[in-house]
Amino acid sequence: MTRYILNRLGQSLVLLVLVSMIGFAVLNLAPGGPLSQFALTPGMTQADLDRISAQMGLDRPLIVQYADWAWRLLRGDWGRSFRDSRPVLDVIGGHFGATLLLMGTATVISVVVGTWVGIKGATKRYSIFDYTATVGAMVALSIPTFWFGLVAIYIFSLKLGWLPAGNMYTIGDGSILDYAKHLIMPALVLALVDVAVWSRYMRTATLDVINQDFVRTARAKGMTPRRVLMKHVVGNALLPMITLAGLQVPTLLGGALVTETVFTWPGMGRLFLDSLGYQDYPVVMGLLMFSAILVLLSNLAADLLTAFVDPRIRLT
Amino acid sequence: MTVSTTSANSSVKSGWWNSRTFRRFVRHRLAALGVVMVAVLTVACVIGPYILPYNDLYIDLRARFSPPLTGYHFLGTDPLGRDIAARLLMAGRISMLVGFSAMILSTLIGATIGVVAGYYGGRVGTVLMRFVDAVLSFPSIFLLLALAAFIKPSPIMITVIIAITSWMEVARIVEAEVRSLRERDFIMAARMLGLSNRWIMFRELLPNAMGPIIVAATLTVARAILLEAYVSFLGYGIQPPLPSWGNMLNGAQQYLQSAPWLAIVPGVAITLAVTSFNFIGDGLRDALDARSDLN
Amino acid sequence: MSEKHRNSIFHPTRRQALAMMGLVGASGLVMPGILGRDKAYAAPPSTPKGQVIIGFSQEPTVFNPHMLHIEVDEGIHFSVFDPLFNVDPDGKFTPALAVEVPTVENGGISADGLNWKVKLRDGVTWHDGKPFTAEDVKFTLELVVDPNFRSGRRAGHDLVRDIKVVSPTEITWRMDKPYAPYPSILASTFIVPKHVLEPEADRNTAPFNNAPIGTGPFKWVERVAGDHIELAANAVYYGDGPYLERVIYKYIPDLTVLYTQFKTGDIDVTGLQWITPDHYDEAKVLDGKDVVIVPGATIESVTFNMEKPQFKDVAVRQALYFALDKATIIDALYYGLPTPTESYMPQQSFYFNPDLPKHEFDIEKAKKLLDDAGWKPGEDGIRAKDGIRLSFSNSTTAGNHIREQVQQFMQQSFKDIGVEMTISNLPPAVMWGEYWMQSKFESVVVGINFLTGPDPDTSDYFLSTSINAKGGAGQNTSQYSSPEVDTLLGEGGRVFVPEERKKAYLKIQEVIRNDLPLLPIFQYATVRGHKKGMTGFTPNVNNRIDSWNVGSWYWEQA
Repeated sequence: MTRYILNRLGQSLVLLVLVSMIGFAVLNLAPGGPLSQFALTPGMTQADLDRISAQMGLDRPLIVQYADWAWRLLRGDWGRSFRDSRPVLDVIGGHFGATLLLMGTATVISVVVGTWVGIKGATKRYSIFDYTATVGAMVALSIPTFWFGLVAIYIFSLKLGWLPAGNMYTIGDGSILDYAKHLIMPALVLALVDVAVWSRYMRTATLDVINQDFVRTARAKGMTPRRVLMKHVVGNALLPMITLAGLQVPTLLGGALVTETVFTWPGMGRLFLDSLGYQDYPVVMGLLMFSAILVLLSNLAADLLTAFVDPRIRLT
Repeated sequence: MTVSTTSANSSVKSGWWNSRTFRRFVRHRLAALGVVMVAVLTVACVIGPYILPYNDLYIDLRARFSPPLTGYHFLGTDPLGRDIAARLLMAGRISMLVGFSAMILSTLIGATIGVVAGYYGGRVGTVLMRFVDAVLSFPSIFLLLALAAFIKPSPIMITVIIAITSWMEVARIVEAEVRSLRERDFIMAARMLGLSNRWIMFRELLPNAMGPIIVAATLTVARAILLEAYVSFLGYGIQPPLPSWGNMLNGAQQYLQSAPWLAIVPGVAITLAVTSFNFIGDGLRDALDARSDLN
Repeated sequence: MSEKHRNSIFHPTRRQALAMMGLVGASGLVMPGILGRDKAYAAPPSTPKGQVIIGFSQEPTVFNPHMLHIEVDEGIHFSVFDPLFNVDPDGKFTPALAVEVPTVENGGISADGLNWKVKLRDGVTWHDGKPFTAEDVKFTLELVVDPNFRSGRRAGHDLVRDIKVVSPTEITWRMDKPYAPYPSILASTFIVPKHVLEPEADRNTAPFNNAPIGTGPFKWVERVAGDHIELAANAVYYGDGPYLERVIYKYIPDLTVLYTQFKTGDIDVTGLQWITPDHYDEAKVLDGKDVVIVPGATIESVTFNMEKPQFKDVAVRQALYFALDKATIIDALYYGLPTPTESYMPQQSFYFNPDLPKHEFDIEKAKKLLDDAGWKPGEDGIRAKDGIRLSFSNSTTAGNHIREQVQQFMQQSFKDIGVEMTISNLPPAVMWGEYWMQSKFESVVVGINFLTGPDPDTSDYFLSTSINAKGGAGQNTSQYSSPEVDTLLGEGGRVFVPEERKKAYLKIQEVIRNDLPLLPIFQYATVRGHKKGMTGFTPNVNNRIDSWNVGSWYWEQA
């Protein structure tokens, strides 16, 4: 067990290094590179630029620059936003909560709905419900999230006027109900893809479990189908779901970027697009790294959690 | 987006395209539907523009914002009075071409990295596969946008960066496949015959991993079409006047109230195309999956 | 965020674009009738009362007024800080932190324009209670030219020498050469506190930049990043107001949402980028809202890179102007809101030249001009002369929808005269970097505010030494070079009496109209709305932001 954890941690560290290298490469691809913010300052002469470049250490070999950059990253110094000159981590932190709220809500929705649809589909295999759910899941995976958002806005905000078309809350209100009203549409839109993924996995997982001996035994022993389902099937099928939850994080983050744009939600995705538009490369970079690290951590957490729960791993 | 492409380890030997597979594929009704839809879309996009009464670039400001079914504008017109049906079909050419090209490119990259990693294994394999994991850690839209914002957008560049952000699944699949094939008799035999590594990798191993690659490639087309739509919708992809399904949607949000068809029509086209490719991919997976013989 | 951003107004991010046109930086002129100035106003409340929520489609993020910033940031600057003097909608300076505006007549500026003396208001305090003195002014003027500081504007300030603090309420300096635009620059130079900023090792990253301390009518309260900024009344403000307890700047990145929230009353005032033209008809009849059309100082144009061989022949530029269907662009694509123009100078300016030749849309004339100049159609229908094909690319920021429509529309008309225009739009990072600054483009469609406040000087854009691509410093990215304009700009910059300066600028407009380094399309006008009862909302064509006088705003009492 300890060995497994250490092994897994080691892997994550290696990944982290690789991820940071990719991030650094992207940063250096930016037109003008790290100097661009100064280059656009009016009246800046080449001499000024050279001086600043030396100050920032940009005249050193790339590998040294990378090492320096990575070291600062480790110490939590992610540079400062070109736009408002705040530390990048503060800027990201200011938007992380909104994204977390959106992603969290979407995940809860998709787990609940996806699990229900998946189990029902598996237990009533080849029923109309199962068939519809399967096709529905495929279609859901194919709909562009932003377009689904636009359609939702068109119907629920513009036509029916039930829900606000954007923002996270109304200034001066900010009650839970107000948040909920703003949250429901983007969260559902973001959850769509996830519901599809969850329901498909849940269906397969449930089918796998249903056919196993101990379930047949339990049923033979006279347990009601419902209890068998709850006790054995759901319990066992949920296990791989933890890993799946970890694996879903990148998709969810990507989806959040688009959803936040369409619904003007003040989260990291919005921030990413704004920063791209203003050529605020430190924040763009920061968000790239931040999201990659988030993905690494959630995969790690999922694996460790599985290890604790799953006796097969726990005992090794 | 997350179409899982981890197909089962089907080890289909030579002659995989046998009639049984084909029959099973056709039996999968959704896949058949997908093929029909793709065929219809392709034919429409290829010959449609010659049949429609309007040119996709013809501007007629007097006819701007005509709703669908006004005169011969079956799908209405856009803010410049151009016929949306004509634009949709031209856009389909671009979007599907980008989708296919990105698929080919990413499959080439992915298959090469996968076969090298799987065949050599050991340190080379580990490094390559960790690199795959690292790229996969970035949400692909973030990476795609960051790259797109730094380049001069042309269809070729957009295709390239889509491929750059979507080759990893193929690499994983091929690596797994090749690793399992590596110790099989026919590869051993090839080694003993003194065939070069390159020959073994690309002439022996890769053809034997073709089944899963085709499945993954099909799903990659779907994914690439979606990615093009995302990045163009956000204004960093294919640039007008060249129409693409994604850039037809860019700007549609502004007219959502007054001209909702601007948003609805291209979205339906994207969904149709992507769904079709996903259906086909899914059907192919079933058809090529040896395990499903048991059912 | 660069000077380009500052001046222009024309670097829309996708959102601004979504927003509609990259109309940036435009501001308004007073239209007394429409604004209801003629009706008697209720008196402002004796103590600050109520709050106003102003919606912006871009997020203010730069609160140090001297760092590179965009228009919306100035909303905060005008609320929190004061300059030495302001500029009113008529282009007149009104004293703020200075007791009087220095002029040659009152002895504030020496007759040769070189020596300046400014008397400052006594008894003004910073929001943290410390007194404001001449040291703060000196510090500010030195900060903006500090090479280690990411200053948004150096031009003008870099001529200032020998700043002397004579007393806490008097400051003097010498100019390296006479520079008439300087008062206009000072009118947007907000004074920042020395006691807060001087001790900072790095002024680019000082905490002050995210919690500004000023002397202005409103004090900083907080910023919820990505959402809004809250300011509260400065109870000891020396000037007019404030009459509102709170001002909230709300960031709403989508113009459709901004408009919807204005309609539902969630926001009281539509700030930059206001109401999209396509919503005007609906907006103007909204209950309980005042919706007005306000001209801005930004001029939309097709700008050529004069060093490209296709554009060296003036006949080509003239022909393209004849082939430009301005009326349709304005009426159809911009819903008839903007005003057609022949000049880069806003029509409200004292220096505007109304006698320039009027544009005609005439395809036949365009063809004839090209025929006569020897540009003969080739086999593909595209004209050519001496091996140069009349084909060029046109760029703007990707995602700016109305501009993209304009480009495609022009493309069609230019094709009619045998000219091929291809469209090559770029993401902002690529467009406004080297591509623009180093004149790598062939032609662009942009909206530029050529002026600095009310001052007519445009050396930055038209002086032959302002070409970056040729080693100069400035924004003359079209690489326009005319000895006559150089001379005239020099003359205009040295003269301080408006009536005398005017001659030079009228002539410059004439030369530019004839040379056509840019094809002027229109001067922007935008649709702005505010809730009825919001009093004091006064558009100002000389400032870039609606809330330039937010200290004087109040709710009419029922």
